[in-house]
Amino acid sequence: MGVKTFAIFVSIFIFLFVIELIRRQKMTFKYSISWLGVSSVVLFFAFNENLLRKISDFFGFQLPSNFIFFLLSAFFIFLSLLLTVYINEQNNRTESLAQTIGMLEFKIKKMQSPEQKK
Amino acid sequence: MISPKKVLIIIPAFNEERTIRRLVQEIKKIYPDFTVLVINDGSTDHTAEEALEVGAFLIDLPYNLGIGGAIQTGFKVAFEENFDIAVQIDGDGQHDPRYLPCILEPVASGKVDLCIGSRFLNEHSGFKSTFSRRIGIRFFSSLLGLLTGVPITDPTSGFRAYGKKIIPIFAQFYPVDFPEPEAVMTAKRYNAKISEVPVNMRKRLGGISSIRYLKTIYYMLKVTMAILIDMLKKKQKEISYGS
Repeated sequence: MGVKTFAIFVSIFIFLFVIELIRRQKMTFKYSISWLGVSSVVLFFAFNENLLRKISDFFGFQLPSNFIFFLLSAFFIFLSLLLTVYINEQNNRTESLAQTIGMLEFKIKKMQSPEQKK
Repeated sequence: MISPKKVLIIIPAFNEERTIRRLVQEIKKIYPDFTVLVINDGSTDHTAEEALEVGAFLIDLPYNLGIGGAIQTGFKVAFEENFDIAVQIDGDGQHDPRYLPCILEPVASGKVDLCIGSRFLNEHSGFKSTFSRRIGIRFFSSLLGLLTGVPITDPTSGFRAYGKKIIPIFAQFYPVDFPEPEAVMTAKRYNAKISEVPVNMRKRLGGISSIRYLKTIYYMLKVTMAILIDMLKKKQKEISYGS
C-alpha cells in the first residue's frame, strides 16, 4: 500500500512539474509529451492494480514490480536514444549555421571591397 | 588547357600560419586565374591574416568544425557560385601544388568526377610514412576497394579534385567524421567516377597530423565502423544546379 501511494505521489509530482515547465516555457510540447505520457501510465496502473498484475502475468513476469522495473528501463533506453537523435540534429544544425555565417561574412567582405573581383 | 573552366581551390586550414602563405603563393604562381579560398577552421593563430595578405579569399568559421565541416563550406561556395571544379588541398603544405595539373586534368576533361592524388601510385615517391600508418592505409584501401569496386591506393589523401557532378552532392552530404575515406563511399553512392593519379607529398612543414600513432588501431576501428555505417545510408534526393 505504501509503495502504491509513493508511486502515485511521484508521478503526480512529475506530471505537475512538467506542466509547470511548459507554463514557464522551459519545455515545449515535443519534449514534454513523453514525460506526461509516462506519468499518466503510472497513475493509470496505480489505480488499476489488477490490470497491472494481469499484464505482468501475461508477459511472464514473476512479480508486477519486475514488470514495472522493466518498463522503466525500457522507457529510459528509449528516451536516451531519442535524446541522442536530438543532439545529433542540433549538431548538424549548428554546423550548418556556422558554415552559413562564415559564408555570409565572406560575401559581405567581398561586397565591401569591390576591387577584389571574382 | 583548363583555363576556360572555373576552378575553386579549397584550402582547409586550422592553425597553419607557418605554411599557408607559401602554399597560397605557390598556387597563385601556377594558376593566377583560379580562385583560392582558405577556410579558416577556427584557428587561434594568424592563419587568417597570412592568407589574406597573399591575396587568398577567406572564410572564417566561427569555431572549429573539423576538416569535414571546413571542406563542406568550400563545396557550398563552389555550388552557390557555380564553379566547374573544386580542388581540395591541405593547408599544412604536405601537398605539392606542382601536382595540381595532374589531379585537375582527369576532372577537367570530364573523364572522372573525383580524382584523388595518391602518394603510393608512384614507385619513386619520396614519401615516408610510419609503419602503423602504412598498415592503416593499406587496410582502408582494401576495404574501400572491396566495398566500392574502385581500387584506391591512398584513401586518406586529402589532395583531390571534384567535378561539377559531385559538388552539389558534397555541398549537401559531405561526411564529417572521417571525411576522406567516407567521401569515397558517398561519391560512389551517387555513381561518381573515381580515379587516382600519382603525386608526391612532402614532409609536413607544420601542423600536427590529425592521426596520432598511438591511436592508430582505435582510429582504424572507428573508420571501419564509419565506412560500414555509410553503407547503410540511404541515397537522398540531391539538390542540383538551377533548382
